[in-house]
Amino acid sequence: MKKIKKIFRYDNVGILFVLPAFLYMLIFVGYPIVRNIILSFQDVNAGNLVRGTKNFILFDNYLELFQDNVFRTSLFNTLRYTVLCLVFQFVIGFALALFFSKRFSFAKPVRGILLVPWMIPVTVTALMFKLLFATDIGVINYILRSLHLISSNIEWLTTPGTAMFALICANIWIGIPFNMILISTGLTTIPKELYESASIDGANKVQTFFSITLPLLKPTIESVLILGFIYTFKVYDLVYVMTSGGPVNSTHMLSTYSYKLSFEMFKYSKGSAVANVLLVILLIVGVFYIKATTAGEEE
Amino acid sequence: MDEEKKITGKRNILLSVISLLILCILLFPLYWALITSLKTEQEIFQNPPTFYPHILNLKSYAAQVETGDFNMFRSFGNSFLISIGATIIAVLLAVPASYGIAKYRFKGRKMMLLSFLVTQMLPVSVLLTPMFIMFKNMNVYNTWIAAVLADATIGIPFSVLILKNYFASIPKDLEEAAYLDGCNKFSAFIRILIPIAKPGVMVCAIFSFLYAWGDLAYGMTFILDQEKRPITAGIFNFMGQYGTKWSYLTAFAVVTIIPVALIFIFMQKYIVSGMTSGAVKG
Amino acid sequence: MKKKKITALLTAFAMTAALATGCGSSEDTQEPASDAAPAGEEASAEESTEEAAPSGDAEAVTIWYYWETEGHQVALDQVIQEYNASQDKYEVTAKYVPFADFKKQLSIGASADELPDIAILDSPDHASYVEMGIFEDLTGKFDVSSYYEGTVNSCTVDGKLYGVPFGVNCLALYYNEDMLKEAGCEVPTTWDELKDTAKKLTKDNVTGLALCSVQNEEGTFNFVPWLWSTGAGSYDINNENGIRALTFIQDLVNEGVMSKECINWTQGDVMNQFIAGNVAMMENGPWQIPTMQAEAPDLNWKVTLLPKDSEYSSVLGGENYAVINGRNVDGALDFLTYATSEEKVKFMMDKFGYISADKTIAESQFEADSPYQPFVEELNYAMPRGPLAEWPSVSDAISLAFNQVITGTASPEDAAAEAQTTIDGIVK
Repeated sequence: MKKIKKIFRYDNVGILFVLPAFLYMLIFVGYPIVRNIILSFQDVNAGNLVRGTKNFILFDNYLELFQDNVFRTSLFNTLRYTVLCLVFQFVIGFALALFFSKRFSFAKPVRGILLVPWMIPVTVTALMFKLLFATDIGVINYILRSLHLISSNIEWLTTPGTAMFALICANIWIGIPFNMILISTGLTTIPKELYESASIDGANKVQTFFSITLPLLKPTIESVLILGFIYTFKVYDLVYVMTSGGPVNSTHMLSTYSYKLSFEMFKYSKGSAVANVLLVILLIVGVFYIKATTAGEEE
Repeated sequence: MDEEKKITGKRNILLSVISLLILCILLFPLYWALITSLKTEQEIFQNPPTFYPHILNLKSYAAQVETGDFNMFRSFGNSFLISIGATIIAVLLAVPASYGIAKYRFKGRKMMLLSFLVTQMLPVSVLLTPMFIMFKNMNVYNTWIAAVLADATIGIPFSVLILKNYFASIPKDLEEAAYLDGCNKFSAFIRILIPIAKPGVMVCAIFSFLYAWGDLAYGMTFILDQEKRPITAGIFNFMGQYGTKWSYLTAFAVVTIIPVALIFIFMQKYIVSGMTSGAVKG
Repeated sequence: MKKKKITALLTAFAMTAALATGCGSSEDTQEPASDAAPAGEEASAEESTEEAAPSGDAEAVTIWYYWETEGHQVALDQVIQEYNASQDKYEVTAKYVPFADFKKQLSIGASADELPDIAILDSPDHASYVEMGIFEDLTGKFDVSSYYEGTVNSCTVDGKLYGVPFGVNCLALYYNEDMLKEAGCEVPTTWDELKDTAKKLTKDNVTGLALCSVQNEEGTFNFVPWLWSTGAGSYDINNENGIRALTFIQDLVNEGVMSKECINWTQGDVMNQFIAGNVAMMENGPWQIPTMQAEAPDLNWKVTLLPKDSEYSSVLGGENYAVINGRNVDGALDFLTYATSEEKVKFMMDKFGYISADKTIAESQFEADSPYQPFVEELNYAMPRGPLAEWPSVSDAISLAFNQVITGTASPEDAAAEAQTTIDGIVK
């Protein structure tokens, strides 16, 4: 038995399993990361992209960014957008996962169909929500008017504050199935015996939820949240199609602003710097995640 | 799985009705897109809006098939090819990797886990140029292979992080039994663990497929020829061409969604049972 | 068991090995491509193998363009086919790159040295690519002396010619004749008349005026005529004139005669709103005419000069041909010589709804009562944007300013001041 246990620990054979995937990512994404970091310390624009010298100007791009209004808006927008989306889609997704884990007739088929929003390319979703939130022909305005919640149409996508709200709604809609399916999968890994013994012990539903479901789902929840955070934080397609960062830059995110600087205004280095700010923030979140998930492990 | 009893009677009906209500609310945007595509432009602008098309208008669908050098069916085939390719690479690489990370403690493990995460942290804007240069040097620029290779970089880290939990939840005694049976690490992985983790693998495959399916930036940038481009690229054409001509745009949306939804409905049995079969039990 | 074990081990090893080599080695990736061999090569190689077959050794010439309108694509294609048939030295192929992607693809292509031989690009971006150093100096190779000065300026940097104007367009005012008649209005010629007319035309489902105000180059294109009409320059906004232009646009929106949705409407959207009868007047270009005639043959509309504040003004638009240096320059020049001949220019301009950049051709291009004729007249007042390598940044500042006033997030004074600060940082 001792021998077998040893297999599970400090065993470098494990690397062989991980290496192919690791190398793949290293080649295809490692190089871009390094290139991007170098680029962000240079002064590359239209004039010296192809020819001419690329000077190292160190942190000048970053210093300039922090005096740039649009950058500050983008940074704040990205954080606000990510947190709000995450909270709502996680809570709703979790609730739905629990609801559909009950064994009633429609549970499986309906849960299956609910995944459809997730299968739709984001650009198409963005188009659909653009239609829903349209001012004159939008059905959302119509419903609100019918319920007498508003007296005149709201210009959702052309007013700074509400445009962000529309984006968040669209993203929550996409994110609900994502959260639901992953949490559902996680729920299946919880041994049923635990619930049985809990009910024998006289625990009620709320108690079982907090004492069994949540703790055992912890790894799943952590993965869902961290992945959700990363994918939400670098949102691009949705914003690009729905608002393109407007009106008056009020819905620019770090990713859309980076794109705009790089490919519309020819400020390649500055665009890279914005991307690196995004990277650093996510890196901090990532480190916390790794710490949290590997903390309980026996080393 | 059957320890928990099926819910029957009134409660069953109540829960089923609630689930249908949830379905209606969440799928309303899809319904709205569908009926908008069937209305005339005039009816779309009608106030109050109509909740079903009063005059059935199929012109917008005919336009999808007729126009331009962008062929709906071919681009659907391209998307399919690219997504399947990316899924295969992602699953083949991510399954062993997640097993290794879940079950072994080796040096650099945390670092590797973190680096998988890091690869997801760059926005596409800065990935495009360096990837483009690489694909050009590999001679795969302007082929579907470039899109496959790029799309797999989304699926791999995602799958590793999800599957790692799955493998971690598989009790050690199953593996130990395999070792006692004379298996080594690799054969135990292939013969014992992969079959057990099948639901998890399935979910990862689906997600990898969908990430590739929804990708726009890679397909647009690395494939220049219209006839090789994925279906999402068509959105760009149609947005430019039709502006806010909503009947056309929504028809395009519906045509994009229908094939995926069909595949899904046929596969649903496997997907849903894979997810919830509860194969992993203590 | 032992045998099984070995097989399993081998399988696992083979799998790992295959995966390890599969991560980017070119042997592996090329293998599945072999059945689509030409696809694996770069674009130019593809053409030389695929399409040169009949003539044997024709050199490939690739063109990138961004017109999504089918009529434009067909017209260009026809000229290319005729050219290919007329000689056997070069084989031209054109590739459509969506407008939204065009700049990105050229930027990336420049970094990766993967560019076409000819690019047909939006004129205000020309100077930026010249600065990038990817365009061939064409000075003395084309006679552009009879071309509109503004179009030639847009592809001239430091006195050198880096492109040939493809065709030219400008913006003018379209109006719905029936609606004007019904409301008893004259055709407006000044800003006051325009606002007045727009007010009278605005009804339940109709707004008086629409102009594309998207926060990008397209919006700037539509705004600068109003700015210039006051006497303000593109780089000089924070003054009485600049503020007056911003105030005028803001008033139109505030008084409800122009929809705020304009900030989401492309020029195509504006045209769709116009032919749907939701908008009575619009600022738009001549390239919409073929579509309008096809889609709304019964609509009564006319075109007139953009109403003026202190002077008539419009903006010069259109595309330029540019030849990429270091590639098939001879082939590119040969095709351009062919495509800029009077006959081909006339053919394409008619199909495109464009006006020839060659003044002598343009003046006899249309009948006196043609809907295009007002645009030819408007061209006399049209000025180019830039040319300036940093034009995209200037344009960004301008488009922010009019979006601020339209959405009411800043007063015209503040918007003008902010734009000026940005522009001063770029130009001075």
